[in-house]
Amino acid sequence: MPDAIVLSEFAGIGMPDWVDALIRLVFIVALMTLNTLALIYLERKVLARFQARVGPTRTGPVGILQSAADALKLLTKEDVRPHSADRWVFELAVFFVFVPVFLMFIPIPFTETWFIRDLELGFLYVFAVLGLNIVGVIMAGWGSDNKYALLGGIRAAAQAISYELPMLLAAAGVVMIAAGHLLDAGLVGGALNLNTIVDQQRTTPYILLQPLGFVIFMIGALAEMHRPPFDMPVAESEVVGGYFVEYSGIRWSMFFLAEYTGLFLMVMLGSTVFLGGWNFPFGADAGLGWQIVLTLAKASAMIFVLFWLRAMFPRLRIDQLMAFSWKVLLPFALLQVLANGIILAYGGPDWVVGLVSLALLVSLVALIYVLVRAKAGGDSIHLEPARPRLVTSTEVASGD
Amino acid sequence: MSDVGFHLAFWSLSALTIGGALMIIVSRNLIHAVIFLILSFIGVAGLFITLSADFLALVQILVYVGAIAVLMLFAILLTPRAARDNEESLMRYPAMILMGLVIAAGVFVALETDWGPMREGAIGTQAKIIGESLINQYVLPFEIGAVMLTAALVGAIALARQDDEDLPIHTASLIEEGVLPPPDGDAADAPAGPGDDS
Repeated sequence: MPDAIVLSEFAGIGMPDWVDALIRLVFIVALMTLNTLALIYLERKVLARFQARVGPTRTGPVGILQSAADALKLLTKEDVRPHSADRWVFELAVFFVFVPVFLMFIPIPFTETWFIRDLELGFLYVFAVLGLNIVGVIMAGWGSDNKYALLGGIRAAAQAISYELPMLLAAAGVVMIAAGHLLDAGLVGGALNLNTIVDQQRTTPYILLQPLGFVIFMIGALAEMHRPPFDMPVAESEVVGGYFVEYSGIRWSMFFLAEYTGLFLMVMLGSTVFLGGWNFPFGADAGLGWQIVLTLAKASAMIFVLFWLRAMFPRLRIDQLMAFSWKVLLPFALLQVLANGIILAYGGPDWVVGLVSLALLVSLVALIYVLVRAKAGGDSIHLEPARPRLVTSTEVASGD
Repeated sequence: MSDVGFHLAFWSLSALTIGGALMIIVSRNLIHAVIFLILSFIGVAGLFITLSADFLALVQILVYVGAIAVLMLFAILLTPRAARDNEESLMRYPAMILMGLVIAAGVFVALETDWGPMREGAIGTQAKIIGESLINQYVLPFEIGAVMLTAALVGAIALARQDDEDLPIHTASLIEEGVLPPPDGDAADAPAGPGDDS
């Protein structure tokens, strides 16, 4: 694998290390902003098409400047803080949400040589900094001194903790296979390096070997990023606006910056770990241009699917969501890790791994189908929540 | 790595760790204390990185910040009035003595430990070394830990779970008081109000 590109060589001028690092950080900020503006515009347009509307049209040609206009409006808005809010927690919460997403950018490979830094433990690193996000969300919810914000914050945190586990385990299946391939090639370690994982997918993307892992990963990504149908933390009809209901102006827009950047990074992670990133199907020999087009095309396709899901499904209920993670996804993710371990330990070929994962995926879908049918048909399987229900006085009287 | 950058990182991370730890003690608000605890954990993770223990640093963030600290936040959020009215308590004198002993033990260990191997630098890919020693040399403690965690999990669920889960709480209490007749057979037949969405 060729070495990472060095900016000073790329630009043809000498510069010290810290200038190089600074340029990389500025690059992240610029990419975050542009990506958020573009994704918000695209989401509005795509959703509008799904709902037989036209979306934004007035600002610029086909409304393309709408996001820029919104951003300008938000920047000039007053930054309001509720009188009873806990000042420091309220104001610093934004950074606890923003900085982890910023840090997540670092190990993501765009091409073979283009990334901010090539981290040896990049895979673990991404999930570790993702966990920091939860702290900011709880801080925002609690610091606002608003019960809806608090409810939204607790929901978001509970959801993020629950879905982190199946997601990490699902992606760990890929790391197991990659470690096996690396051992076959006589190399030790490196299976946690995102760029090496991409490099391993020269002929087969890992989605073929771990279809169940990919599905669980995508569901987990939806839940981690509070995307519909898992958007209970920010559900307008239930908790008004969720944990950022009291924020306005620049702080509110930073929440959105973090959210859409997180979305982009999740699909980038999915495209590197499961879809072969810059490698598949042309391999490392394709030039920089092809590699970046491949990575971004895969990421864009996944983003489109996420928008599609938003248009297609109604919102779940919070107890259904938690039960789905702990009772359905986590056992299946564990089963997959177990199956991978047994097959790889006995030196089974790749296609066996893929077949077992596919069988598990089919049984997962079948299980969901059976559960939903039982619910719809009113059969004996109860998906009812254990919580108080309204009993009217007439029913009490008639039941006596 | 340049020497200046290393020293800058070390001193600022140490300041973050110790400053955060001090603020935990000083802060009367439990939520603030947990947030300072998180800052302190992050500082420790940074110190691990300056020691080339990158795997340990990531696990520190993943486990301590991502799970344990968040669990503490949850516990505090769900405890009424935990964040305010934390007055002085007589228990602080025994606590002071206990902490003094713990700090003395820590200083003793730090002085007695042979730090020689530290100067030899990093020992290669840690994830692999830690993983191998967990399932070879230390497999028994590893398994005991796993069983204990499972037992704690089952215990927590047994404590938190209510007995007749199938019945709505209100209906169940009404049956207990004899207002409603016990349901015969299927619990789903219990009276459902307009709020029922099945």
